[in-house]
Amino acid sequence: MSSPFAINGGACVAMVGKDCVAIACDLRLGLQALTVSNDFPKIFPFGSSTYLGLTGLATDVATVSELFRFKVNMYRLREERDIGPQTFANLVSSSLYERRFGPWFVSPVVAGINEKTGKPFICGFDSIGCIDFAKDFIVSGTASDQLFGTCEGLWEPDLEPEDLFETISQALLNAVDRDALSGWGAHVYIIEKDKVTKRLLKGRQD
Amino acid sequence: MNHFPEAWGRPRDDIYGSYNPQFLPNSHAQQSGHPTTHTQSPIVTGTSVIAVKYKDGVVIAADNLASYGSLARFTDVHRLKPFNKKAVVGFGGDVSDMQYLDRLLNSLDVKENYSHGHDDAESDKALMSAKNLHTYLSKVMYKRRSDFNPLWNALLVCGLSEDGTPFLASVDLLGTTFSAPTLATGFGAHLAQPILRRVVPDEAASKALDKEAAVAAVKECMKVLFYRDARSMNEYSIAVVDKSGVDLKQKEKLEGQSWAFAEQIKGYGTQTV
Amino acid sequence: MASISSFAMPSEAPTYSFAAAQSASGQPRQHGFYPYTDNGGSTLGISGDSFTILAGDTRSTSGYNINTRYAPKLFKLGGSGPNHEGSKIVLSVVGFAADGNALQERLDTIVKMYKYQHGKDISVHACAQRLSHILYNKRFFPYYVHAILGGIDEEGKGALYSYDPVGSYEREQCRAAGAAASLIMPFLDNQVNLKNQYDPNSGPGLEKVQRVPKPLDRTTVEEIVRDAFTSAVERHIEVGDGLQMMIITKDGIEEVYTPLKQD
Repeated sequence: MSSPFAINGGACVAMVGKDCVAIACDLRLGLQALTVSNDFPKIFPFGSSTYLGLTGLATDVATVSELFRFKVNMYRLREERDIGPQTFANLVSSSLYERRFGPWFVSPVVAGINEKTGKPFICGFDSIGCIDFAKDFIVSGTASDQLFGTCEGLWEPDLEPEDLFETISQALLNAVDRDALSGWGAHVYIIEKDKVTKRLLKGRQD
Repeated sequence: MNHFPEAWGRPRDDIYGSYNPQFLPNSHAQQSGHPTTHTQSPIVTGTSVIAVKYKDGVVIAADNLASYGSLARFTDVHRLKPFNKKAVVGFGGDVSDMQYLDRLLNSLDVKENYSHGHDDAESDKALMSAKNLHTYLSKVMYKRRSDFNPLWNALLVCGLSEDGTPFLASVDLLGTTFSAPTLATGFGAHLAQPILRRVVPDEAASKALDKEAAVAAVKECMKVLFYRDARSMNEYSIAVVDKSGVDLKQKEKLEGQSWAFAEQIKGYGTQTV
Repeated sequence: MASISSFAMPSEAPTYSFAAAQSASGQPRQHGFYPYTDNGGSTLGISGDSFTILAGDTRSTSGYNINTRYAPKLFKLGGSGPNHEGSKIVLSVVGFAADGNALQERLDTIVKMYKYQHGKDISVHACAQRLSHILYNKRFFPYYVHAILGGIDEEGKGALYSYDPVGSYEREQCRAAGAAASLIMPFLDNQVNLKNQYDPNSGPGLEKVQRVPKPLDRTTVEEIVRDAFTSAVERHIEVGDGLQMMIITKDGIEEVYTPLKQD
């Protein structure tokens, strides 16, 4: 268990619904088996409807999220508008590939709604920036196997926002309950065209 | 502590006196004075064996080469061994272990003939079927792996089961067994199996396949294996097992080779100029 | 040079047992023999009020190769004849297939000998404990398998026991094992044991009431099993080709085979 990706633990998942997307993460921060914090969210907002989830090495999660805060602020100053999810995904990809031979130990997930087209968008990355454009869901973190199982079993196309919230919450909660390194509550964002709902879930505290 | 890792953890002669070889197994105490040693790697090896089930029987093939590492050492080694007129075993892997198993099977055959009589239709019925033979071999292989003394082979056993349906199954050095309409060991699992599965995707396709098509598919695979497997040769044995018995040919040559594709190959495959 | 002269020269080194044999094989070894392999695949068992369902995919793999598309991982125990007629206990094994077959054969013989010696069928409870002992007897050279045993207990209720490779065991409502166990198990927690599901009519916050799992009927369980496997097939390369299900009731064992994706 010396993989940098599995030292601190954590899980993140994003899903597409009907004219909406959802992204959720757990709240645990640990050092191997020892839990250090139960308030370490792994989702970061970048503008009105673009969200980034980061799992992996906690120090890199903090650093990379700050790096993108800087980059997105610079983008906003130059362009005088918010960054869209697709543009942000490409920024994430190229920024990760810059560190091709000394990567950030993170597995990012991007979710958002394109302001122009109104279409939902999600994608995932490996630690060196290869993009996975999925039409259904993206998972990452130490509970990714479990998340693949729950998402593949629970997800269906064209879920309305409330149903999507229930689906992503059940998928995440049940997945992290079978992973010793993830859990301790969750944050869930439901992103619609002109509304974002953030909910805090209380999960098992063990 | 000294600089000889092989000595670490062993009793030192200057402290404990030298080891008394009487405590070794009888077979080793007198001769070598050293403990039993087991095969850790194969030495002289045979490459792929491939086989297909068709509607009335099975076709099996293996080339006649026994390699010593990358050296093509023996070029007339027959790796298909018939057993009591009803079955054929194809051997991949270590050739000396193949010869041991062949001796074992011959003594088994002799015992079978003593207890059942031979050379008449009635006593033939009582002989072991290919299915029985496969069970026997799988137990031998599993026993040897469990003793940490493996027979370093991958075997294909083919013939007919008691009810007369075609039978084809495999056993390897770990005692792993499985059965399928087409099977291939070694390199053949990568190169021949996809071709054979195209011809025979499932059990139903195998029941519809005639002998000529089965033989043609196997011969085509032997050719592809010769093109790409560096431990193969162009002379091979092929056997057809059906209810009339075993038809084994041990001096077949590859036909209709075309090396035209070789001209197109540059570098390792992605190079274009 | 001074550092070299401080080394003990080979001639001064103490001799030790089997020195000659060791130096003969002292060169770097190319192969060592490892007696295990993983043949992939997954199994799953769920017990109901009056039945137990065991299921397993039929793919057998070696690395990225598919050995065969039909290698059953479910075995009927006891009963008579080659088809185990009258059997009411099923063993599923996943992991190293050769060990799985050896284990199944041993337990089958034991179940048959029990009937021969005692004149009655072995209970699942007794069979389960015997399986634990067989596994533990090979504690230092284990059968590399995850076993699940299913049947009907003495009260007529579905019984399901799951094991680790060295015989530690437990009776459970549901269990997934094998390559895709990590994918299937949290789904089962949610759909069978209703984990993380609360009564929508209960109060907010800490007044929430967890939904109570009740034994499921047979068709629901069959549906969950199918969903679990079709999901596992999508995301795990070692799972696929076919789904074999055995439904054990007081009347015997029903076997169902359905194809799965072959990619």
